[in-house]
Amino acid sequence: MAAIAFLAAAILSFGVPGVQGVQQELDSMEVMRADLVMIDTMKTFGRLERPPVVFLHDKHTEALLQQKQDCNACHPADEKGRQSHKFKRIEDSDPKAVMDLYHEGCITCHTETATAGRKSGPVTCGACHLKKPTVISDSQPMGMDKSLHYRHTKTLENKCEKCHHVYNEQKKTLEYLKGQEGSCRYCHGETKVENRIAAQQAFHQACIGCHQQRLAEKKVSGPNECSRCHSLEDQKLIEVVKDVPRMEVNQPNVVFVKRLQENEPPPTPEENTLMQQVPFDHKAHEEFNNTCRVCHHANLKACVSCHTLKGDEKGGRVQLEQSMHQSNAGQSCIGCHNNQKVQPECAGCHENIYQKLSGDTNASACLACHMEPMPVTDGSTQQPAELAALMLESRKKPPTPYPADKIPEIVDIGVLTNQFQKARMPHRKIVQALEKKIQGNQLAVAYHGDSGALCQGCHHNSVIAEKPPKCGSCHGQPFVERQPVRPGLIAAYHQQCIGCHTRMGIEKPAATDCTACHEKK
Amino acid sequence: MSISRRKFLGWLGSAGLGATLGKNADAASNKHFTGYPDISGVLFDNTLCIGCRKCEEGCNKVNELPAPDKAFDDLSVMEAPRRTRAGEFTVVNRYSGVPDAGGPVYRKIQCNHCLEPACASACFVSAFTKTPTGAVTYDESVCVGCRYCMIACPFEIPAYEYDKALTPRVTKCTLCHPRIIKGLLPGCVEICPTEALTFGKRKDLIRLARERIQQHPGRYVDHVYGETEMGGTSWLYLSGTPFQKIGMREDLGNLPAPLLTKGALSAVPIISGMWPVLLTGIYAISKRKEKIAETEKAQAINAAREQAEADAKAKLDAALKQAQKDKEKEIELQVKRALEEAAKAQSEAAAKPETKEESDG
Repeated sequence: MAAIAFLAAAILSFGVPGVQGVQQELDSMEVMRADLVMIDTMKTFGRLERPPVVFLHDKHTEALLQQKQDCNACHPADEKGRQSHKFKRIEDSDPKAVMDLYHEGCITCHTETATAGRKSGPVTCGACHLKKPTVISDSQPMGMDKSLHYRHTKTLENKCEKCHHVYNEQKKTLEYLKGQEGSCRYCHGETKVENRIAAQQAFHQACIGCHQQRLAEKKVSGPNECSRCHSLEDQKLIEVVKDVPRMEVNQPNVVFVKRLQENEPPPTPEENTLMQQVPFDHKAHEEFNNTCRVCHHANLKACVSCHTLKGDEKGGRVQLEQSMHQSNAGQSCIGCHNNQKVQPECAGCHENIYQKLSGDTNASACLACHMEPMPVTDGSTQQPAELAALMLESRKKPPTPYPADKIPEIVDIGVLTNQFQKARMPHRKIVQALEKKIQGNQLAVAYHGDSGALCQGCHHNSVIAEKPPKCGSCHGQPFVERQPVRPGLIAAYHQQCIGCHTRMGIEKPAATDCTACHEKK
Repeated sequence: MSISRRKFLGWLGSAGLGATLGKNADAASNKHFTGYPDISGVLFDNTLCIGCRKCEEGCNKVNELPAPDKAFDDLSVMEAPRRTRAGEFTVVNRYSGVPDAGGPVYRKIQCNHCLEPACASACFVSAFTKTPTGAVTYDESVCVGCRYCMIACPFEIPAYEYDKALTPRVTKCTLCHPRIIKGLLPGCVEICPTEALTFGKRKDLIRLARERIQQHPGRYVDHVYGETEMGGTSWLYLSGTPFQKIGMREDLGNLPAPLLTKGALSAVPIISGMWPVLLTGIYAISKRKEKIAETEKAQAINAAREQAEADAKAKLDAALKQAQKDKEKEIELQVKRALEEAAKAQSEAAAKPETKEESDG
């Protein structure tokens, strides 16, 4: 009896706090929401006296909709009829007024709603000004890709002026100029500059303004709720148009990459030290990318208009050469091409190829872009664009592999014959598998044009030839003091085979399954 | 026993001088050891490790260690983290589910062969030696089995042969010191199929590690573990994931362990050498102290007693005096009152003599 009493006491004394602990944990668990707005407006006037208010926007939109109210309940329109995205005001006047506006607006509405018997929000200080917010934002950035842009142009019947505008300095007004359309972000930056509002404000004002108007007119409209644009799940639901017609802004199809500015005189033949012109398939690159901003990060002009040969203030002193070759900048040719190499089918070979810091694999790679000009056959003078197109066409044909009988079918590797039988490497099968991977990829085709280029994946650091050196030609004893970077032969094989398989996601044979490659003796 | 304090301190001083002049106390002295030139080391690159346990097998073979609990080709042992043990100088642990790693990550554990070993500085019989080859070797013939080295090691490497009742030893990786001096590779390095382990001069390995980091941007954490940790170690590590994620301590700092403890530890040889002298001295001093204290105590008690007696007497005297005074006052008062009453009675009698007579009559 006493034992039972003791047990009960023990359960009471230990069990109950345990349950409470779990409950606290549940309470403190953070909820992810895309519509979280931390109201910290008072920050603009100085230090906050209380923590920012946790405000869930979509919850309020929904509640107001049930009461048959719309955005105007909280967001007034300015003198031009544009909806302010501030709460019940156009501008932040003085701190007291703004604070009162929130306190009065929120508390009055919450009280009225509660009195009417509906579910309502808090009215006490600490319930809004939460010290430890239980909600965290997982709001995703939203962008207008090609597909979404196309859907908008279609719905708006090609009325570009609905969104696109430029500022007329003389008239001090916004106007639409045909052919001058560009990304909103070219003018609207992270913060407001002079009379140019910040990108965030511009997008919300333009997008939601239009969506609401169309909704009122009972036309096809886009979303007004935060989550429909900014939550990861809802973003996946946005309809994607596969074959988007080309956006026309007078851009070229095929062009030689410009190296001189508009009025810059070309160098005389004696002084010309420029590289061979690079033919560029502009149209194809439009298809590869989702927005123009991938390359045209500041405007839609030619690269050289800011990135001059010598470098200029307007191009951030980045020279044309750097703007094309900077291997760690996503906007540059090589930078973007390098980013493609992380795909499994590329990484198998490319991860292991010795890279100079400049990003070039070797000098012969320059010729892949800076092509030798085509010999003029019929003596006629061709337009540059035509010539560029011809040169590009010559690059599109897949590499002609060495004839199969020239590629060894099986290569026996006998470096571990003291423990195992010879490893029989299906050499030709591997070459052919790699050839197949290249054929599906235009970028790969362009850069693997030479029959032997592919072989460089394994036969690296040697000249391109039909019979490249064997692994053992360079790799021998391990840990040679004067060649610390070069692995010994056994490690060279293992690193090459296992490394490539791992990077390409080839799971079998497992790296630790010795007898899968070299059978037991 | 009569040793004066002056005499004892004199002995201690001369012993200290002798100890600093001695050769063996280097590890714990205030000399800064900058490392032997051209020491060897091993670079472990975990982006090349495939987790095959061959290094464990190689180590076991060359060191003639007992057969493992589970065969070396049984990779299931990696499911739980392991540490070095008496019969296992090296173990490889697998870390699955490391974020952004894209697969399991491996970590090899063995003695790091510090440039300034904590184990050596903690050992009061100098059983550990940092040799010019880079290896930290252990001399079982002098070891007393105190296992201070096991506590001192920041990497938790030295193990102890608890199962041997009579001849237990501390065990750890030797960097295959006997093999290195013969020009052979350490057992683990020799057997590694992918050269995830590279043997060479430590300074070359650091250069190699830096080159690998530079050649493969994004593949490695930009840090060579062991280059500076605890003053530098002969084993160096490259990793594709943060070292902390694979259980490697990043809170060790760059100071060698002996530098951190030299103040306290430099006194150890002096004290252990001068043990009898020290004890005798302490005994004599404390004895003398006790004696002095006793005398002082007795004196204090006497003084206190006298004081108390004097105080009591003075108090009594004062009280007696006061009592006397009070008594005199009282008598005076009584006399005065009696005289007054007598005078009053006399005058009343003079005013009514008849009445008195009548009543008498």
